[in-house]
Amino acid sequence: MTMKLLIVDDSMVIRNRIARLCQDMRLPNLEIVGLAGDGQQAVALAEQFRPDLVTMDLTMPKMDGDECISRLATRLPETRILVVSALSDKTTALKAIKKGAQGFLHKPFSDDELVEALLELMR
Amino acid sequence: MTAPAPLRKALRPDDVEVFAETIGHFFERITGEKALVRTAYLLEAGMPLPLDDFNGLIQVQGDYQGSVCFAAPRGLLDHVLMRMGQHEYSDADHLDVVGEIANTLAGRARRVFGEGLEITPPQTFTRAGKPPPSAASSPPLVIPFTWQSYTAVLIVHLDALV
Repeated sequence: MTMKLLIVDDSMVIRNRIARLCQDMRLPNLEIVGLAGDGQQAVALAEQFRPDLVTMDLTMPKMDGDECISRLATRLPETRILVVSALSDKTTALKAIKKGAQGFLHKPFSDDELVEALLELMR
Repeated sequence: MTAPAPLRKALRPDDVEVFAETIGHFFERITGEKALVRTAYLLEAGMPLPLDDFNGLIQVQGDYQGSVCFAAPRGLLDHVLMRMGQHEYSDADHLDVVGEIANTLAGRARRVFGEGLEITPPQTFTRAGKPPPSAASSPPLVIPFTWQSYTAVLIVHLDALV
């Protein structure tokens, strides 16, 4: 079964890297349905495409990842969220999980770490 | 009655080590090659910031006030972009990745400083651009490093609020 993925990060380079890894590597069952550069755009795209998975940055303009996770958890509770963030303190990770994220991957990440984290959420 | 302004103090030498470690960690993870972090120095009053071709600046709030700025030459960023799987580069890509590196370095520092080191999304600018004024009053600390044949700097301009 193909799962739908929404990629959310304010860095175009990171959005493209995640998309490229998903297409080039071992994730044939993922279809990328959107790329969002901030939380507002992410909520709009998520409501339009109802993704199964979201990779979510935290530090973003307009609407940050924390707020975006809260909104997605309320409106699309079946969507699984992998936070991909540079914020490396434990409190931030715990807060994100409490708000509704299912996983947390620290930047900078290796190709293998990203694939492994996505596979974990796809199980 | 207005509340008194919080007392400020400069970062400690141990704090500087935290930022030096973030540089080493970033380059090793992304490129597989270590960066050689050189001796940090305080920028003398009146001296311009050692900006480079592309610069990414993170404003810091919370328990700390000021900014963290990553300044790098085009060639270094070309290599980082290539290691991240990108093979065509525009100035927009260089500005994007220099901001992302600044964000990653500042974010990793929260491993030690905690969530009280509140960071904003990056502001980016070229050598011709002007950095926004910093809220810190202590002198900026410059951490130079070499990766491959390139030299770049992390400029840490922070006060710790007491």
